[in-house]
Amino acid sequence: MRTVPLSTEQAPPISVPLRFFISTPLFLMLAALALVPVSDNPFTNIHSLALLAATHSITLGFMAMAMLGAMQQILPVVIASPMPASGIISWLTFLPMISGTALLTTGFMLGKPIFLELAWPLLGLAFITFIGSSLFSLVRSPSSNATKTSILLSILALTGTIALGMLLAHAYATGLLLPYEKLAKSHINLSLGGWVLLLVIGVSYQVVPMFQLTPHYPKWLSFSLAPAIFIVLVVNLISLLLEFRPYWVVISLQFTFWLLASSFAVVTLNLQSRRRRRIADATLSFFRLGMISLLCAGITALANVFVPAFDHFDTLSAALFILGFAMSIIIGMLYKIVPFLVWFHLFRGGIKRGVPNMKEIIPEHWMWRHFWLHCCTLLAVLIAPWWDVAAWLVSLGLLLQGMLLGSGLYTAMSVYRITLRCLEES
Amino acid sequence: MQNIADFMSTGHRECDVAFAIAEQAASEKNWSTAEIAFNDFSVNMARHFLMEEDKLFPMLLSAGGPDAPVNVMVMEHAQMNELIDQIAHSLEKKESETYGGLSETLLIMMQQHNLKEEQILYPIADKLLEDQRENLINSLRSCL
Repeated sequence: MRTVPLSTEQAPPISVPLRFFISTPLFLMLAALALVPVSDNPFTNIHSLALLAATHSITLGFMAMAMLGAMQQILPVVIASPMPASGIISWLTFLPMISGTALLTTGFMLGKPIFLELAWPLLGLAFITFIGSSLFSLVRSPSSNATKTSILLSILALTGTIALGMLLAHAYATGLLLPYEKLAKSHINLSLGGWVLLLVIGVSYQVVPMFQLTPHYPKWLSFSLAPAIFIVLVVNLISLLLEFRPYWVVISLQFTFWLLASSFAVVTLNLQSRRRRRIADATLSFFRLGMISLLCAGITALANVFVPAFDHFDTLSAALFILGFAMSIIIGMLYKIVPFLVWFHLFRGGIKRGVPNMKEIIPEHWMWRHFWLHCCTLLAVLIAPWWDVAAWLVSLGLLLQGMLLGSGLYTAMSVYRITLRCLEES
Repeated sequence: MQNIADFMSTGHRECDVAFAIAEQAASEKNWSTAEIAFNDFSVNMARHFLMEEDKLFPMLLSAGGPDAPVNVMVMEHAQMNELIDQIAHSLEKKESETYGGLSETLLIMMQQHNLKEEQILYPIADKLLEDQRENLINSLRSCL
């Protein structure tokens, strides 16, 4: 039988995705610090600086960091086209990303504009490098499938998100007069509804059937969902920028967006209920929690439109989307990808015996503990706007989650190093 | 007429069914069911690898198909065979936990491999071997 080493074009070195993954827990801990309710409960005001700091620490430092690392790993598999020059691109993305996110979060935490002024060019550099290399990879890809379309639209939404984010940070730092509310709304819609949701949708088309042996997503859904969501987002963006916001437009756009997002959640839950693989699996539970949270985020967002007088629906919807939906799915994915990468990179070097299997790299009970801790944190967030003690619990929950995830990922990295050393010595 | 991608992908799904039954049975320490299902799975996998390595891949290469992805697929077959051997060993020793860890690893390895074949290699084969498709599928059927 012919054997050849796996082409480096196919899979980047393990250090490329791992450096992104291993940094993610730090930003959960930074978010925990930002949310410590020193004087006021930050959850009572969605525009509070503490909440802004924590949100950016999670969306950039945890979510985007993990998504950027994962994209470098999964693009060769799902669209048959790796990112170019993975080593250089990885550093050019990682270093400005980690420093830019830390500066931005600190800037919001301390209310010091100078940090924001330093952060936005760094974050711009990180994302422009990432967007450029992703687009290069997408254009070069021979595949034509629904995942490729979703990822492409997600990257386009990310481009808008970053442009608006840089403008807002610069304007906020320098006191520039801008229509902040509509720009901030556009920034949030494109980042959560576009970049995050479309990327999760595109990747789910591949990983949901793959991890649990479910049927594939129906073709009518996979080919139309991401373009439909993208169109709704663009129409919403235009109506925001042109300030054409009669009540019926707001209702129609919100309703259509959440109907589309909910259809994704319902179909995913349905596919998972029809899975062939019936054994208990922490990643599956994280995924299901994510989908249920997405449905609840939709309900609270629509409630906010219909009953605007009731406070905190917008905070709840954002928390359900960011912590409940996106964060759950990303944690679940990390617990699948990282042990597999460690095993894969040890095994492909020609080492056969003595390589630990995935459940020996990060023990499963570790993942279940994290799952229950994450559920508790989410529950605390949902009552935090009304109960100050819960704000402390959210902060504590995020801190513990960062520590637990950090220990799991660090253990995986140590297993890799130790096994490699032992096998090389023997 | 059925194309190569559909025919070969059906083979993947059949392997998945036996894999899931064996894994579930091993997690419940139902060793007799696990043994029967795992045996089905390993026989199906061996047959599928044989179809690819003895028939599909050589024809694809001689029709001008790309050799790098084919070589990667062949190497991954060897890696999966090694994992299947290790699982068979844990089944023999009735070690439920080891079985679970190894089957989790094999599942991801197998699925990412199938994804690359179904989305890249089989469509290339359908394109390059269009004229010989019927003969090839008949010949692959003879392996069943």
